[in-house]
Amino acid sequence: MTTLKTILTNATAIAVASAFVFPVLLSGPAKAFPDGPIEFVIPFGAGGGADIEGRVLAKEMSKVLGVPVVPINKPGAGGAVTYTYVKNSKPNGNTIAWSSTSILTTTNIGNVPYGYDAFDHIGRVEYQPMPFAVKGDAPYKTLKAFAAACKKAPGTLKVANSSAGSATHLAAIALMDAIGCKAIHLPAGVTRRNATVLSGESNAMIAPLTGAVNLAKAKKIRVLAMPSEKRNAVMPNVPTAKELGFDAELDLFRSLSVAKGTPIGVKAKLAGAMTAAANSKAFTDLAEKNGFTIAPMQVGQFEAYLKQENAKVVKIMKAAGLYQSKMK
Amino acid sequence: MNPDILQGLSQASLPINLLATAIGVLLGLIVGMIPGLTISSGIIIVLPLTFVLEPDLSIALLLGLYVSGMTGGSFSAILLNIPGTPSASATAIDGYPMAQRGEAGQALGISITAGFLGGMFSFLCLYLIAPLLAEVALQFHAADLFSLVFFGLTIICSFAAKSLVKGLLSAIIGLLIVTVGQDPVMGTARYTFGDVNILSGIHFLTALIGLFAIPQLVGSLTDTGVSTAGARQHFGSILPKWETLKKIRRSVSIGSSIGAFLGILPGVGGPIAAFISYDYAKKASKKPEDFGHGSIEGIAAPESANNAVTGGALIPMMTLGIPGDPVTAILIGALLVHGLAPGPLLFIERADFAYGVIFSFFWANIFNLIIALSGLRMLVKVLATPKAMLMPAIALFCVIGSYALRNSFFDVYVMLFFGLIGLAMKKLNMPVVPMLLGLVLGKQLEEHLRVALTSSKGDISIFFTSPFSLLFLSLSAISIVWAFVAEHRKKSNLSKGVAP
Repeated sequence: MTTLKTILTNATAIAVASAFVFPVLLSGPAKAFPDGPIEFVIPFGAGGGADIEGRVLAKEMSKVLGVPVVPINKPGAGGAVTYTYVKNSKPNGNTIAWSSTSILTTTNIGNVPYGYDAFDHIGRVEYQPMPFAVKGDAPYKTLKAFAAACKKAPGTLKVANSSAGSATHLAAIALMDAIGCKAIHLPAGVTRRNATVLSGESNAMIAPLTGAVNLAKAKKIRVLAMPSEKRNAVMPNVPTAKELGFDAELDLFRSLSVAKGTPIGVKAKLAGAMTAAANSKAFTDLAEKNGFTIAPMQVGQFEAYLKQENAKVVKIMKAAGLYQSKMK
Repeated sequence: MNPDILQGLSQASLPINLLATAIGVLLGLIVGMIPGLTISSGIIIVLPLTFVLEPDLSIALLLGLYVSGMTGGSFSAILLNIPGTPSASATAIDGYPMAQRGEAGQALGISITAGFLGGMFSFLCLYLIAPLLAEVALQFHAADLFSLVFFGLTIICSFAAKSLVKGLLSAIIGLLIVTVGQDPVMGTARYTFGDVNILSGIHFLTALIGLFAIPQLVGSLTDTGVSTAGARQHFGSILPKWETLKKIRRSVSIGSSIGAFLGILPGVGGPIAAFISYDYAKKASKKPEDFGHGSIEGIAAPESANNAVTGGALIPMMTLGIPGDPVTAILIGALLVHGLAPGPLLFIERADFAYGVIFSFFWANIFNLIIALSGLRMLVKVLATPKAMLMPAIALFCVIGSYALRNSFFDVYVMLFFGLIGLAMKKLNMPVVPMLLGLVLGKQLEEHLRVALTSSKGDISIFFTSPFSLLFLSLSAISIVWAFVAEHRKKSNLSKGVAP
């Protein structure tokens, strides 16, 4: 009992002490970057794709930089909590956001008074497609068959997504527009999205690849197409929408972003560590297992990519009546 | 045999998992024993410490705590006549008289054994029913789920509330709080005053820490302390004799069945199951006159019932994502923190994990029996721990816990704010459990309602044409009517001077 008590006392002492020490370390004078632990802020909760992938990357970056890169989850409001936190952090490279397509969706739906360009970006790390899938025993064997069925009964087929305004919703809108299908977009939620397809409530869904790969392997769902740049290595037999003659393309990317005004030298060091970590064995193994594509993109190229993706997001959102900028 | 079942079994039986379960059991016995610390608050306090563990380890530890908390509660009920947890209240009726007769050891032994039998019965229910129910639940559409959640909300009002009006009010406040933050369907801001912290909404675990733990902390400040002399008495033999076990056969069967069944119903929980089974066991007993004067059957029935509630309550939690009692509500939160969504899909996408949970529950019951029987004499010394040492530690864990959920200091203020609400509710005699259920179920209720209406293009008839939905709505109607009848009966009983 006394040992247990000692352990508990020590543990709490450490917890309390670190709560005080951490901010001190973080705000210390910036001599040669990196001079202290780096906060790696993950915009989504523990256990999800963003968390698992982010934690491996942070660990590998820590090996390269020689300082702890500490993953911290700050979930909430579709990523807006993390983005606001990092945007308001000191521009010294000690706080980095594990940003993603959500940096474009949250800023365009009107919940935060800034755009994606309120940050300095380090670069892209990876991307993954968002497959379009139907139930394993559904009558639609191809995307064309689905389009034909939809045209026969417009406004009745239902396509599930993770939530309104999310990347999956936008991809679904883009794909349905491309195949000329008037569908009901069902904001089923991350936890219910797959279930609505299996129960037959939805006729189809758009999900991130990592969220659909298990069901596809078990043949519970059939992936008809991917509104993506190119075929994915995990499901090489699934055609892209473009191959089938439909112009819809939206991928889910993950990247690193820091507060605006971070010195160029710091950003260059982070970018180097990011690329090395992205190509590390641990990270490539994870990519192979979960199906995302590692494709590091340095800042210049990434800025252009972001601009292009943002234009896509805004276009789809405006068409669907979701766009609502609060930017001043 | 299904490979997932084997994998779940082997995962739950790994040495490290067994260790986590055993630690949970030990903590649960201690938490359960200390009067004023409920199992819910114990789990809330330990929860943030489990965030760093793998999901299967953390759930193994929490299940251990849940199961053994029920048993620990009976120790103080028997020895001090103060139930360590509300679920052990019925145990005190016959346990304390037995302890006064110098048969404390026998009373504790029966309580532990009956709890084990009840727990194992509910394990069988969980193992056999949960996968089947998940299969059925997979067919549910949003409309069915809305009606099911609605049914869950009506049940709390008929059971958990002493006064129907106060219970309803408490539930509605909980539902209103859930609307703060991001609209779950459209993603737009609601009642946030432009604050990005409020935009992420009120995490129900943060609210629960405040609602449950703070009033207890404040209550203990004004507590003059209880006599712990009973904890130091001589127990005599603890292991129950074979003849004794035969005598409690009937009451254990009654307690186990009632406990497991009531556990499945959302929001009922241990205390009610314990009292109802006590009542039935008395009616079915050959010696009902012994009840209240130290009857072993009077201990066996409620103790088997409150342990059977645990397995029962896990059934709707795992298959539907709907909690059977306050503790499972917190367990849902714990799973979500680890990115695992309880619900029918858990049995398809992560069947190995789902079975791992079921078998961890099995081990929790085994360890509960072993640790409680072997460590009893040591454990009851905890009852003599001064509160002055205990309470500051709990306060610290409340702060760490609410911070660690989302690494946000804003949540610590939210926790303190809910502490004030909890204190006010205590003063007003308003039950907290309906609010808790409102907080836990509110978001689901809204999401299912809106998805169902999106799907039907705004046609309300969807709730009445689906057979599942119709069934749940009819059950809701019955439970509301029953609540009014029970309230009326209670009032007329009171006016006749009969205790309810």
